[in-house]
Amino acid sequence: MPKIKLNETPVRTSRNFNINNLKLENITVPEEIGEFESVTIQGENLKVDENCSDFEPRFGLSDFFTKQIKENANQKLRLQIDDKTGKEVKIDFDFDEENLSLVENIEIIAKEDAKATVIVKYEAKENLECFHNGRLRVVAEKNTEIHVIFVNFMNMCSSHFMTMENIVAENAKIHYTIVDFGGKNSVTNYSSYLDGNCSENAIDTIYLGKENQLFDLNYIAQLRGEKSNVEMEIQGALKDVAKKHFKGTIDFKKGCKKAKGNENEACMLLSDTAKSIALPMLLCAEEDVEGNHSSSAGKMGEKELFYVMSRGLEKKEAMKLMVRARFHKILEKIENEDLRESILKEMDERLD
Amino acid sequence: MSKTNIDEINRNIYDFKNKDEYDFKIKKGLTKEIIEEISEQKNDPDWMLALRLKALEVYNKLELPTWGPDLSELDMNEIATYVRPKSKLNNSWEDVPEDIKNTFDKLGIPEAEKTSLAGVGAQYDSEVVYHSMKQELLDQGVIYTDMETAVREYPDLVKTHFMKCVPIYDHKFVALHAAVWSGGSFVYVPKGVKVEIPLQSYFRLNSPESGQFEHTLIIVDEGASLHFIEGCSAPKYNKVNLHAGCVELYVKDNAYLRYSTIENWSKNMLNLNTKKAIVGKNAKMEWVSGSFGSKISMLYPMSILNGEGAKTEFTGISFAGKGQNLDNGFKVVHNAPNTASVVNAKSISKNGGKCTYRSLVRIGENAKNSKSSVSCESLMLDDISVSDTIPVNDIQTDEVEFSHEAKIGKISDKTIFYLMSRGLSEEDAKAMIVRGFAYPISKELPVEYAVEMNNLINLELEGTIG
Repeated sequence: MPKIKLNETPVRTSRNFNINNLKLENITVPEEIGEFESVTIQGENLKVDENCSDFEPRFGLSDFFTKQIKENANQKLRLQIDDKTGKEVKIDFDFDEENLSLVENIEIIAKEDAKATVIVKYEAKENLECFHNGRLRVVAEKNTEIHVIFVNFMNMCSSHFMTMENIVAENAKIHYTIVDFGGKNSVTNYSSYLDGNCSENAIDTIYLGKENQLFDLNYIAQLRGEKSNVEMEIQGALKDVAKKHFKGTIDFKKGCKKAKGNENEACMLLSDTAKSIALPMLLCAEEDVEGNHSSSAGKMGEKELFYVMSRGLEKKEAMKLMVRARFHKILEKIENEDLRESILKEMDERLD
Repeated sequence: MSKTNIDEINRNIYDFKNKDEYDFKIKKGLTKEIIEEISEQKNDPDWMLALRLKALEVYNKLELPTWGPDLSELDMNEIATYVRPKSKLNNSWEDVPEDIKNTFDKLGIPEAEKTSLAGVGAQYDSEVVYHSMKQELLDQGVIYTDMETAVREYPDLVKTHFMKCVPIYDHKFVALHAAVWSGGSFVYVPKGVKVEIPLQSYFRLNSPESGQFEHTLIIVDEGASLHFIEGCSAPKYNKVNLHAGCVELYVKDNAYLRYSTIENWSKNMLNLNTKKAIVGKNAKMEWVSGSFGSKISMLYPMSILNGEGAKTEFTGISFAGKGQNLDNGFKVVHNAPNTASVVNAKSISKNGGKCTYRSLVRIGENAKNSKSSVSCESLMLDDISVSDTIPVNDIQTDEVEFSHEAKIGKISDKTIFYLMSRGLSEEDAKAMIVRGFAYPISKELPVEYAVEMNNLINLELEGTIG
C-alpha cells in the first residue's frame, strides 16, 4: 500500500507540528484476508454470537480500516455479559503461520448492573509478518462495571491497528488497562463517550518501544453526562530509535456539569535517539467542570539510577527495574497474577 | 438567581474614530499593480520591490490555514492595504496634525513618553507619524526609527535581517505582509549598551476596510539589553479590518530583550500577526503579551533558541468576550544544548467568547540538558463560552527535563464563599479572584498597562454566584 494518512486528531493544529495525522508508507496489507482460527474464548455463562452491530465509529483510524472491518472481518464476536459477580472473560488471538492476518470486530454488551473483567490478548511470538486490524466496541449499560485488559504482544515485524470505542451509560464504569508493546507500527484510535450522568472511564496505558517501533495513540474522551469523569494515565518508555505520538483529547461538551477530566502522560526516554511527541488537548464548552492535563518527558533520573546501581545491579538491570517501577501503579490494577507475571516477563525480554 | 456578570472590556477610550481622511489610499485588492504602486509610493529600493513581488507569488500559492478560526470572511478584494495619513514623519508632537495628535493624546502616548519611556514611535494607518528618542541613547549609538528610514539609511543592516528570521514561506499571511508591508519600527542596540528605560511603538489603524502591515525589526547586539513595548488599537467599524504585522527579533549572544505587547484591536479586526525571535548564546528573550481585542486573533510568538545556554520566557493572557475568537499561544524550538524555556499562559472566556491556547515546544536532537516548563490555565466565566488547549510537545532527545500542565475550570464556589465569609461582597470576591488569576501576567506588564488591565477586569459585577 502506498502512503496512507490515518488517525486524525479531532481538532487540527498547524501542519508544521506533524501531529494532525499519521502518515505511513509501505504498509503491507494482505490483498486477501484469509481465515483466522487461532482464537480462544474462556468464560462462564457467556452469550457469544457473530451479530455485531454495524455502527460506524465516530472517529476511527480511516475509511480504509473501517471498511475493511465492515466488509472483510475474519472474526466477529459479540459478547453479551449479564453476570454480576465480576468473573473473568478471556479472548486470546494467537498469530502463527496458519493465522497471519486478523481483521476482527468485537462487541461487548454489558447488560444493566453487569460486572466483569474482559482480557483481550494478541500475541505473535514468531518472526512472522502479521497484520492486525481490529475493532473493540464496548457498550456499558446502566450501573455496569467493566474492566477491559487489552494486551498487545505482537512481534516486531507486524502491523497492529486498533479502533476502540466505549459508550458509557448512567453510573456505568469502564476501566481500561492497555498494555501496548508490540508491532513495528502500533496505531490505536480510542474513543469514549461518557453520555450518562455519573459515568466513568479510566484508561491506564503502558507502552514500551524499542528498535524502530512507532506508536501512534489517539485517545479521545467526550463527556456529555453530568458528573461524568475520565482519567487517563499514560506511561511509556522508549529505547533505540523508537518513536511515539500521543494525542489525548478530553472534550467537555455543553451540559456536562460538574464533570471532571484528568490526563497524565509521561514518557521515559531510554536513548538519545528515541522521540516522543505529545498533544494533550482539553476542549471545553461547559463552565462548571474541572479539566487538567500534564505531560512530561525525559530520561531516567541519574540519582535514582546511581542509587540502584550502587546496590549491585548492572545498568541494564537497573533500567529494567526503573521501568518496572514506573509501570507498577498501572500493572498492580491487574488482578490476574498469571497475566501480570507474563506482562512483566515480556517487558524484561523486550528491554534486553 | 442571577449569575455573576463580568462585563466586556470598556473600549470607549479605543473606539473613538476620526474622519477617514488621508493623503493617499490605495485601491482595494491585491494585484501585482497594487504592489508596484505601494512600492513606488514608498520609494523602495529595487531589492525591496523584488521581495514584495516574490512574496505576492508565494501568497497566491499558499492556502489558508486548515486549522484554527474560520477566516472565510476575509476578502482581500475588500481591503485597502496602504493608507498614507495626512502627515509626514515628525519628531515633535507639535508638528503632528491636530486630529492625529489628539488620537495619541487620548491613548496617553505623549504623556507616557514624558514620564516612563526612552523613545516613542507612533504609527497612524500605514505610516509612522512620530518618532523620537532620548539624546543619551542616540549618543550611545542606539538606532530607533521608522522602518522606511531604516531601509534608506541602514540598507546593509536591514537587508541582512529583513524577512530572514521570518521567511516569506512561513505561512500565507507572512507572504501577504512581505508583499504590502508599510511602517513599523527598527531598533538597533549596539554591543554592550543597556537601554534601561523602555522604548514604545504604538500602532493605530483609523481607516475602515483597510489593513495595517507594520514591520518591526529589532537587533539587540552582543551583551546589550532592551525592553520594547508595542501597543495597538483601532476604532470599531462594521466591516472587517486586517492586521498582519510582522516582528523579527535578533537577540545576539549574551543579550537580553523583553518584548511586551498590549493588543487591543477593535472587535471587527482580524489579527493575523507573526512574531519570531532568534536567540543567541546565553541570551535571553522574554515575551509579555496581553490580548484583549480583535474579532479573530491568530498569534503565536516564537523563540528559536539557537545559541547554547539561550533562554526564553513567555507570559501571556487572553480575554475573549462576546463574538471574539482568540487563538493564541507560543512556540519554542530548542536547537542548542543547555537551553531553557518557561511558559505561563492564561486565558479568560466569557459571554460566548472563545479562547484557544495553541503551542509547540520542540526540543531538538542536539539540545542536550535543555529544560522546558509549560503551564496554562483557562478560566470559564459562564456556560456559553469555550476554552480549548491544544499544545504539541515534541521531544527528540533524552537528556531533557520537560513538563507541561494545563487546567480548565470556573471560579471555585468554595473560594468565593471563603472570601465572603471574610466580609467581602460577592462582587468583590469574584473580582479579587479574577485579578488574582491574572496577577502573574499583570505584574509583568508595564505599570500603566497593568492598571489598565485591572480596570478592564474590574468590572461590573452584580448578582450572586450562578
